[in-house]
Amino acid sequence: MTSAAETGLGFDELTVGKGASIEELVDRSALGELTVSFFELFRVPIRVFSESGQILADASEQPPLYAYLNTTKGGRRALQKVVDDVKRVDPGNDGEVIQPCVTGALYQVVAIRYDERPLGRIIIGPFMPPDALEPRPEMLLLDDAIEAERARELLLEMPRARSETVLQIARHLRKSLDLILFSGHKALLTSSMHLASVRESFRELQDKNAKLQGAYDRLKELDRLKSNFLATVSHELRTPLTSIIGYSEMLSEGIAGPLSPEQTEFVSTIHEKGEQLLELIKGLLDLSKLESGTMSLRKSDLDLTPVIQDVAATLAPTARKKKVKIQVEAQGVLPTVWADAERLRQVFLNLTENAIKFTPENGTVTLSVEPSLLERQADAEEGGLVLFSTRRAAIEVRVSDTGVGIPENERARVFDAFYQVDSSSTREHGGTGLGLSIVRRLVDSHDGTVHIEGNEPHGAVFVVRLPCRRTTIV
Amino acid sequence: MQLDFSARELTIKLVYYGPALSGKTTNLQSLHKAADPSAAGRLMTLETRDDRTLFFDLLPLTFKDRSGLSVRLKVFTVPGQVIHASTRRLVVQGADGVAFIADSQIAETQNNADSFMDLKENLKANGLNLKQMPLIIQFNKRDLLDVRSDAEIAELAAQGREPVYLAVATRGDGVVESFVGMLHLTWSALNAEHDLNKKFGFDSDAFIKRVATQLGDDRPVQEILGQCVGGALDVLTPEAAG
Repeated sequence: MTSAAETGLGFDELTVGKGASIEELVDRSALGELTVSFFELFRVPIRVFSESGQILADASEQPPLYAYLNTTKGGRRALQKVVDDVKRVDPGNDGEVIQPCVTGALYQVVAIRYDERPLGRIIIGPFMPPDALEPRPEMLLLDDAIEAERARELLLEMPRARSETVLQIARHLRKSLDLILFSGHKALLTSSMHLASVRESFRELQDKNAKLQGAYDRLKELDRLKSNFLATVSHELRTPLTSIIGYSEMLSEGIAGPLSPEQTEFVSTIHEKGEQLLELIKGLLDLSKLESGTMSLRKSDLDLTPVIQDVAATLAPTARKKKVKIQVEAQGVLPTVWADAERLRQVFLNLTENAIKFTPENGTVTLSVEPSLLERQADAEEGGLVLFSTRRAAIEVRVSDTGVGIPENERARVFDAFYQVDSSSTREHGGTGLGLSIVRRLVDSHDGTVHIEGNEPHGAVFVVRLPCRRTTIV
Repeated sequence: MQLDFSARELTIKLVYYGPALSGKTTNLQSLHKAADPSAAGRLMTLETRDDRTLFFDLLPLTFKDRSGLSVRLKVFTVPGQVIHASTRRLVVQGADGVAFIADSQIAETQNNADSFMDLKENLKANGLNLKQMPLIIQFNKRDLLDVRSDAEIAELAAQGREPVYLAVATRGDGVVESFVGMLHLTWSALNAEHDLNKKFGFDSDAFIKRVATQLGDDRPVQEILGQCVGGALDVLTPEAAG
């Protein structure tokens, strides 16, 4: 897999590859501090160079003799050559070499190696051996302008040390540096490894996400196919059923000749059950249309009060038969909603029919229409509340009954298809279990909300809120 | 393997793999202790506070051959804990040889098997084939109770392909033998593929002997290799491995 190789590149280079440079492993200013502290302790000039010849740390003061020689042309040239030699000299297998200077001073060169690879060099010097007190003739010959007496005076001011001592200092500095390089390498490896692991984990998660997305897309497609299937089958079932209902109705009306009372009863049962089946199929069809988003709504500016009054009037005979009182409470003229009148009628018919069904004798079903608010509240903690929250003017329709009510933990689930609070009630009251799920989907498609509240002292209230069309600010 | 012709330098990557707490780091520590300081660099361990390997351990070993070729062995361990899967995959990439450290305890049998499958998967993810990978198996912790018996391991090892070693890494027993076995297989495979002996005038046998000596084992190489309780020390050519 190429991605694993890509992410591990840094790690690979740092372990089996070329390795890091000294600049990558140590902090330059900290290295500077270290060499300065060595200089302060031993008073010999110390410089640290990288393998490419870059100076990394410089703790030295130019000795007055060198400053003096540098004022002359010949002296300057000779000293420059010494500096170049010191930077280039091969430190050999043991990594330690002494380079003499034309002044008689010495430079100690110590190679810095890490993991068997040269990273740079430590250069200590120039320093004078303790017994070198006279200027060398070669030095005096570098330039005519060099005065022997002046040179002798300045020679005595040179930093002095024994070569063995300087070698010890250099080794000690190299050892300290080695420790720093090791720590630096370790830290670098840790961070590069950390980064590589995170990338690798991220790549893994992305792979998994892609797989999940694929599975999700397939499921969505299956769901769509299911809805299509339902719509087709419902339609195909309805056609023959219409014939069954029609012919059984004609039979029971005696169009094909008189029937015995028993035959009439049988044919009526066929007719009644056929009607029930048709209702179920219609419900399924509505539901699948709503689910697949193919239900077309004919929306217009709609005043809800007449719709509610019409629903109450339509169901008045049913209520009367059950000895349930039905009443409408409406408040004056209300703003209109943008809605499909027929579909909303279906919603309230369903809710009211339910209410009557579950209300015992002498109970009351109340339909009320009043202005309200439709709020969508975002979480302030998440920020941008004003962008995510909305408050729209709405009309609230409440369908209250005085029946047994619906337990709080069941209230959200009654809107699921085929869900019944108490399945025994289906047999007692009839119904397909589809009504409320159709109600919710219809309300949803009007951007409204529906929920259930308790009614005091007992019963349930179905609360439907539908947004008003134009007023968005209250 | 990385080959730097101009520097006459060869870098080989060896990886200790295995389930959590099977003793991979302990193997490396024993190896480090046994190694001559001139050959071994510092043992670098990247571990959490409770001494569990977080990313890997790294032991650099360097051997110079008379031919002038410098052979750098980078010996890694992987973190055994299941959650470090991505790290294991990163460490094992580009491996030239693998030592699989199994825990001998009977209760760990399933973990050993799971870890081996994990190795196989991670090699595959890096475009490597387990069948072609120079690989030895070490049964560590032989000193504990309730371990799989010598007889059982020997019998099964004889039927398997990979050389199998027994070890008590905390005491250093079997550690160098396992390492030499892995190095022998790895070197033979690399040599078969790149013809290193010829290119560099390199003497493999003398090289393995020198490594063993610098790891404190003066026995003849054949005797050290003979410590394995089963499996084949011959190198599989890629064609034979299929």
